[in-house]
Amino acid sequence: MDKKYWRSLNELHSTPGFEEILHREFPVAASEYPEGVSRRRWMQLMGASVALAGVSGCRWEDEKISPSVSRPEGRIPGVPQKYATFMELGGLAESLLVTCYDGRPIKVEGNPDSPQNRGSSTVFAQSETLSLYDPDRAVGVVERKEGTRYARDWQAFLDYSDTVLGQARQGGGAKLRVLADVSSSAARKNLQEKFAALYPQARWYDYTANSRDNIYAGSKLAFGEVVRPHFDLSKANIVVCLDEDLLSEHSAGMLHTREWAARRDPAAGEMNRMYAVESRFTTTGLAADHRLPSRSVDIGFYLAKLEAQIQARLAGKTPEAAGDEYAAKVLAAMAEDLVANQGAGLIAIGASQPAELQARVHKLNEQLGNVGKTIRYSKEPLATDLSAAEALRKLTDEIQAGSVETLVILGGNPAYNAPGDIDLVSALSKVPHSIHLGEYEDETSLLCKWHLPKTHPFEQWGDARSYDGTLCVAQPLIEPLHDGKSEVELLAILCGDKHPVALDLVKEAVKGSLDSMAVNASWRRLVHDGVLKGSALEAVSPKVKELPAAKIVEAASEELELVFYISPQLYDGRFANSGWLQETPDNLTKITWDNAAIIAPGTAKNLGVEFGSVVKLILDGKSIELPVYVLPGQAPNSISVALGYGRTAAGLVGGDVARDVKPVGENIAALQSKAAMNFAVGLKVEKTGKEYELAITQDHHSIDAVGAGEIHGRVGQLVREGTVSEYKSHPDFAKHVVHHPPLESLWEELSYEGQAWGMSIDLTKCVGCNACSVACQAENNVPVVGREQVLKSREMHWLRVDRYFTGDDVDNPGVSIQPMLCQQCELAPCEQVCPVAATVHTDEGLNDMVYNRCVGTRYCANNCPYKVRRFNYFNFNKVYEDPNRKLQALVLNPEVTVRHRGVMEKCTYCVQRIKAVQIDAKNDQRPIKDGEIVTACQQACPAKAIEFGDLKNEKSLVAQAHASPRSYAVLAELNIKPRTAYLARILNPHPSLAKPDSEGHGHGEAHAEADHKKTAEKH
Amino acid sequence: MDRFLFPKWANSIVSVLGALGGVGALYVLGMVAFGASPETTDVGYQPEQPLPFSHALHAGKLKLDCRYCHNTVEVAGHAAIPPTATCLNCHSGADVNGVVNTVSVHSTSTKLAPIRESQATGKSMQWRRVHDLPDYVYFNHSAHVRRGVSCVACHGRVDKMETVTQVKSLSMGWCLECHRHPEPNLRPPEFVTKLDWVADGDPHEVGEKVRKELNLNPSTNCSTCHR
Repeated sequence: MDKKYWRSLNELHSTPGFEEILHREFPVAASEYPEGVSRRRWMQLMGASVALAGVSGCRWEDEKISPSVSRPEGRIPGVPQKYATFMELGGLAESLLVTCYDGRPIKVEGNPDSPQNRGSSTVFAQSETLSLYDPDRAVGVVERKEGTRYARDWQAFLDYSDTVLGQARQGGGAKLRVLADVSSSAARKNLQEKFAALYPQARWYDYTANSRDNIYAGSKLAFGEVVRPHFDLSKANIVVCLDEDLLSEHSAGMLHTREWAARRDPAAGEMNRMYAVESRFTTTGLAADHRLPSRSVDIGFYLAKLEAQIQARLAGKTPEAAGDEYAAKVLAAMAEDLVANQGAGLIAIGASQPAELQARVHKLNEQLGNVGKTIRYSKEPLATDLSAAEALRKLTDEIQAGSVETLVILGGNPAYNAPGDIDLVSALSKVPHSIHLGEYEDETSLLCKWHLPKTHPFEQWGDARSYDGTLCVAQPLIEPLHDGKSEVELLAILCGDKHPVALDLVKEAVKGSLDSMAVNASWRRLVHDGVLKGSALEAVSPKVKELPAAKIVEAASEELELVFYISPQLYDGRFANSGWLQETPDNLTKITWDNAAIIAPGTAKNLGVEFGSVVKLILDGKSIELPVYVLPGQAPNSISVALGYGRTAAGLVGGDVARDVKPVGENIAALQSKAAMNFAVGLKVEKTGKEYELAITQDHHSIDAVGAGEIHGRVGQLVREGTVSEYKSHPDFAKHVVHHPPLESLWEELSYEGQAWGMSIDLTKCVGCNACSVACQAENNVPVVGREQVLKSREMHWLRVDRYFTGDDVDNPGVSIQPMLCQQCELAPCEQVCPVAATVHTDEGLNDMVYNRCVGTRYCANNCPYKVRRFNYFNFNKVYEDPNRKLQALVLNPEVTVRHRGVMEKCTYCVQRIKAVQIDAKNDQRPIKDGEIVTACQQACPAKAIEFGDLKNEKSLVAQAHASPRSYAVLAELNIKPRTAYLARILNPHPSLAKPDSEGHGHGEAHAEADHKKTAEKH
Repeated sequence: MDRFLFPKWANSIVSVLGALGGVGALYVLGMVAFGASPETTDVGYQPEQPLPFSHALHAGKLKLDCRYCHNTVEVAGHAAIPPTATCLNCHSGADVNGVVNTVSVHSTSTKLAPIRESQATGKSMQWRRVHDLPDYVYFNHSAHVRRGVSCVACHGRVDKMETVTQVKSLSMGWCLECHRHPEPNLRPPEFVTKLDWVADGDPHEVGEKVRKELNLNPSTNCSTCHR
């Protein structure tokens, strides 16, 4: 297993820049304060992440206690309560459990009762608390008249809408239009019908930038009706993803990840095998056993080849031997696996691919007998007659033709994310009466006559359905902070109900799903649970019709293609003002605070561009300038750019031109066209000669192996990988990657009598989705530092996800990922060098960080081999001491100290959660149950890759994981005894594609024998 | 080869350093004395409350249990200052019709006006915190009172106080003293709110017994209180 590991092309080629990073623990001196524009941006940023709760540095402060006048029953001050609610993205709900501390939401977790996410949550959901308290949210009703902004109130709007809608009603609403963000809410649907009855001539358009129109069209083509496919990865031995990120960006990604991960335990039975054919590197591609980089436009070509292979095999013919070409070999392996696992495999194709291909995949799945086993179909409640882009175009045309007098825009930000060939921006200013309901005064609001503040998902009653159709209900967790109204309330107002009660509207809408004998009781139950069990969509069994013969498109074209994708951090741009998400490194590129043109190494060479050079992307006469990111594994001749960046009216974090805050990244939607929403060929790339430094976290915290060669050698020891066959012959191969003489401690070793906390992280299951990282940030008051500080490697994430490329092929490398956090070493090197005992050990094995003692020598960070300690170069919370920032301060977790400038910090294993359970258990004089303490990262993980608990309890899941033959400790040879164990990553390659495990597990067998003997002697 | 020799004036540095050292030592001593003085630790801190609530009357004379008002003390970190509604249980004023509850005590007292105002306006009472720990200290009441540490151990004889006063330093050293040797402050948990309780026998032995029974091993880890 002499695999070569590298983290970036810089590292692979050992550029001088990388060498410099390597030799400097702290790349830039602490005294360097941001200056000029970046300074301003930085100061603003500090105002946007976290805040200091009651700033009481001084003992003599006169602190007030304000008890409730009448304390609500069951409310205990200081005891957090959890409420079920949901958030909706693209019309699909994610059921959540939100922790409220004295009435304010502070932490989001997945709802364990939800069959979709079972307790895990996405980065978007995690960041919702930050957006709830975002000071840039729209406050109050606003009217814009002749370029001037007037603050109004709801009464003023009601008067206005009376006049306008009264006129509209006389004409039957012929000149009334609604443009709405997609939603699966039944309450909204009811009102939509009421609206249609009231204004029969009015038209309603649904729009989303993340449309699944191709999927609808594909199933219509295949079955004659629009259906929604549901994948059961727990039953799939073979998973083939064609330009589809089934594990992360798919709306049921969390469910898929969990079921996929459950089949990735080599000790628990046969592992599944995943293939990915994709243009850009996705989470699924990263997790796949085999990945074939291909332009998105060539997916059809590969699908045709796969079809031919499968048909031949199904017909009993021996297919021609696969050539030497990698692609041919992968396709042959795929076909062989799919045919051998009929009814236990599945093929999924991404929403970016055209309808014809979708239909052919349906056909293929049916032929392979997968339908009804690994794939189930249900009705598609979100299907619309018009595709999203088509709806937008039609509306724009109508406005241009003067046939729209009143336009109501419910949520969304179409003025920002409309494709470039639909000029909604100039059209909007022509509408005499335009009303936008949104959480922010965004690009669309600026063009509308009225802006109405929308409630945050945590401020409203609502209902929606998750991907499997499970009914979710939201309850308000806090009164609307900014006088907002929900979509449902506004619609009710437009339907003539001046003072709508959202609770009644929602209850009425879901009544049909409740127990008719006990409506109130079952409603209360539903609000409590957040989800209605057994309300998933019913399965239908459509049959594939005869499909027109496939047109085989030759893939030989060397034309460049441009792929647009929904940002895994900012979604369609709606999360652009979230500091947490902006600073979350992309799981592959590790870019923060920017989008970039992601180009394959070979293509970059052909184009003569380099990492960081700014290029001009020209498509159909439109152009945009973006920095280049050369990503190994990106498909040749395919350039990917994330949507959701370049917001000009997002706020102080995401960009606000009016307040002189530069947008983050560039808005690539300008190059989209209604015919090419997902990818387009014919791209031209021009060099501009400019350079741009992207804030990338990948080379930060270099582990101190000197020189590239040493690093390559060392990384293989950090991330240990093997194949199923290696595992079968040597289950404990991971333990023998590193050999060292018997270890003896220079220090007195502590003995642990009570509990011994430990963690395990299964690298086979981890897909690097970043959920853990953002969950940690939310739980532990980890500050956001901003782009300039990230460039100086001062990001503060307690938990980072390391990404290493493996192999020699820069065009198609493997990827290994490793969540890295404080390992809570029993013989911690940091403790040994702290001159002030600010980091000390507890008798439960935690490596405590005492902020009050810390004087900021940073010796500990220097001596930490894992580079997981973070230093507060500035008081990142200072701005919040401003009385105007009190609202923002509410996002802080009061159970965790807010750190000051000059203090070191790091992962604590969520000690506040440990203590909460410990105190509770001791109060009741009972032992702590296994699984009772859940760390924030563990909670969020959709793959259940993280276990935490008491290592002394042999039955605990974490102790079992530590006892697994795959378990190993990173850098154990330093005798620092880390409490976190990693479980080696096991891949399940197809035999024909597996690299021969020539050298066993990294050393000769004789050596292994000797080693075993040595350990035996020791015992 | 030239050797480096200190010039003569360098000799004076020694005395200067000595003097500085002396001043430094005095400074350190002074700071320690200052830091530990009751004034600094706020022993005797006795802020004036928005209304002159007397613990001596309620807890002492009337023998109200501490938990009648501080009812979350056994289940939560905070002992929770009671809501206005608790005061109103006895001290409600006239209702909208001007009718006064017959069992109401001092329903027209001017001293209780803030309570009635809070009831009428729905605005919280603004009590002033007496025992104030720094924000980086996470103290949990339930963890103490459920293990036989009486209120009196930290708050003194509140049942004798007209105005609540801080009697202990609440410093970290003081916390640790008890965490290391808890016996003198332990009693059977059923007596924690009985402020005038006296141990039947040697308090140390009683404490020792409670400690064994409840298996108490107070932790002195940093993260026990600092997170």
